Amino acid sequence: MNQFLFGFLLLVFLALPPVANLLESIMIVHMHMQMPLLVIAGFLMAYYFQKKYPAFFEKWNQRGYPGILLFSIIMIYWMLPRAMDDALTSQTVEIFKYISLPFLAGVPLRDSWAKLTSFLKNIVIISFTIMFIMMGLLYIAWPEQLCNNYLMIEQITLGWGFITMAACMVIYLVYNVLIDPMQYEGLAE
Amino acid sequence: METARNISFTEKANKVLGISPKDAIISKSYLLVAFAALLIGGVLGLLQGLNRAGLFNLPTWFNYYQVLTAHGLLLVLVLTAFFTIGYFYAVLSHNLGGLLPKVRKMAWIGFGMKIFGFVLAVIPILLNQATVMYTFYPPMAASPIFYIGLVFIVLGVWMCAFGCFTQVANWRKNNKGQHVPILSYFATGVFVLLFFGSIPVAIEVFMIIPWALGWVETINVLVARTLFWAFGHTLVNIWYLTAVSAWYVVVPKLIGGRRFSDMLTRVVIIMLVVLNIPGGFHHQIIDPGIAESVKFLHVFMSLAIGFPSLMTAYAMFSVFEKTARKKGGKGVFSWFNKLPWGDVRFLAPMIAMIAFIPGGAGGIVQSTNQLNQVVHNTMWVVGHFHLTVGTTVVLTFFGISYWLVPFLSKRVLTPAINKLGVIQTIIWTTGMIFMAGAMHWVGLLGSPRRTSYTTYFDNATALSWDPYLFFLAIGGTLLMVGIILQVYAVVYLMFFAPKGETEFPIAEVENHATKTPYWTEKWGRIIVIMLLLIAMAYVIPLVEMIINAPPGSPPFQTW
Repeated sequence: MNQFLFGFLLLVFLALPPVANLLESIMIVHMHMQMPLLVIAGFLMAYYFQKKYPAFFEKWNQRGYPGILLFSIIMIYWMLPRAMDDALTSQTVEIFKYISLPFLAGVPLRDSWAKLTSFLKNIVIISFTIMFIMMGLLYIAWPEQLCNNYLMIEQITLGWGFITMAACMVIYLVYNVLIDPMQYEGLAE
Repeated sequence: METARNISFTEKANKVLGISPKDAIISKSYLLVAFAALLIGGVLGLLQGLNRAGLFNLPTWFNYYQVLTAHGLLLVLVLTAFFTIGYFYAVLSHNLGGLLPKVRKMAWIGFGMKIFGFVLAVIPILLNQATVMYTFYPPMAASPIFYIGLVFIVLGVWMCAFGCFTQVANWRKNNKGQHVPILSYFATGVFVLLFFGSIPVAIEVFMIIPWALGWVETINVLVARTLFWAFGHTLVNIWYLTAVSAWYVVVPKLIGGRRFSDMLTRVVIIMLVVLNIPGGFHHQIIDPGIAESVKFLHVFMSLAIGFPSLMTAYAMFSVFEKTARKKGGKGVFSWFNKLPWGDVRFLAPMIAMIAFIPGGAGGIVQSTNQLNQVVHNTMWVVGHFHLTVGTTVVLTFFGISYWLVPFLSKRVLTPAINKLGVIQTIIWTTGMIFMAGAMHWVGLLGSPRRTSYTTYFDNATALSWDPYLFFLAIGGTLLMVGIILQVYAVVYLMFFAPKGETEFPIAEVENHATKTPYWTEKWGRIIVIMLLLIAMAYVIPLVEMIINAPPGSPPFQTW
């Protein structure tokens, strides 16, 4: 219940107009801080839904595939430059952002992640890494403004943000490949 | 199974017989270099202080700024790095059943690289070709040899970091599922920070070398400064984390108590590691070309480090009070009497901790935009780091030396040397109160740092600084006496004290302590989180600095 409360409070906090205005005023903060925080809010609230409606998740997300697919679709949609512009200009899309990221990305992510095998988890991380590298290159190299609302320099910054996040994920993947946890944690765990 | 038995045998042997001579000589060599640097750096500091007070004129062939560069380099780089590595290699050897032969080799290669690099860096300083202050960022340019020397120092540090990782990984393989002993956990944290923190400075130095050689004409000053402080700020906290390791683990043992929660200790280490590098801009608050919002973000991260520090303060005083009350201490404050004030191994780190109260507060002042503008580049800043590094960190190092050196040399701390240590600590504290106190005050009155003695054509304001500068010189003289006593104690304990067994003091956790969760051992995840935070802190300003870069600066030789 605590987790639900924290998640809900985070969502309310992020929805406060001054907070939303501040976070949306910088492109990279909009995409790489506000949006992930919305997902985290949903991730925290998911626990309550899982407890309250176990049958629903059991029926519709038995092995975690639909959930992770939904999560991926929502995430990819919000990576589009156009989507950010829409959110800034149309109130309806902005509301959709505040609903889709927590409830259609955060909640299914939590429910699915526990159910996925480590192979599939790695596939998801690898796909997002490739996507981040591509998006990073796009934002860095494109000669024109991709978003009406943000300047070129912000676009390039966002591109480098994608690349550094992808680099972190690559480091994590390499660490996962090179280090066998059984060698270190075997007996007591 | 075979290996497991072997390891536990060597661990037992280590405990019974003390540190192996091969491991001991590594730590002893590192400590000897550290204290030699203290002695030379101290003499240079005294010269600087006397010059600054107008009492002593430095010759033209060895001027104030050369002395300043050498003093800084010897004390903030050599003393601290060599002590930290010597201390933690002794920890790894003691904790983890002796160093592996390859780790020993890595420590020696690292030692050689650092000494070689240091010699390369010192030659141009002596020749007055590298008088760039120890913060060595552009547009002042030193001789390329100076920077090549720095590269070797960084490589030497990396060698030691990888030595530590190899040793810890090996231990974990042989002790599956167990927590790395707490002091070795500190060592891991410190070496993770040393490695990742020195990457930005390595990039900076590689930017500078072609520029100093004249291969490229200009350099992006702001990027270089940013990379420098990403490292500089981290280095400060590496010293601090080293000192904290002794506070959490060693001091409770010395006063006859138990250490505070193991989990809290590990969380403090993780927080210091994760939150550290993204806070470098509080050193650049007055720099133009950085958006205020980005500075604010960095200040937030800098102040976030205050949180684990407050946890530490709480933990330490809780241990003190609990232990003192067990020994019959009563009242609100009178239980303090039950602490072993006459034992230098306790007294020195205790004063170090107390010094961190004003030291930390001064740091918060400097991280605050408006207050920083009052004290920026004044003597206040010099006073601040003489209080934090020169007292909090160094007094803890001194306190450690009174048990670590005899432990390594298989000798004992005699009552006479203990008494000498107590006197030394008192002299050091008094000297620092005078010197750092005067520096803080005169800084508030506007006296600039890094300026040779001048009265600015007998300007009245500048003349009003003089009395404070005398106090600075008096403090500096007392500190010199302290250094001589300290170096004497170390040499005596290393080579001349009576033979005997000295224990490596490691406090146990409380009996009812809660179990530490295993996620604290997953360094891979911790490092990825750290890298993400670093990206958050540096992507925005660096892209801005590089894309919207000014034309760049040619090298300047201002001296």
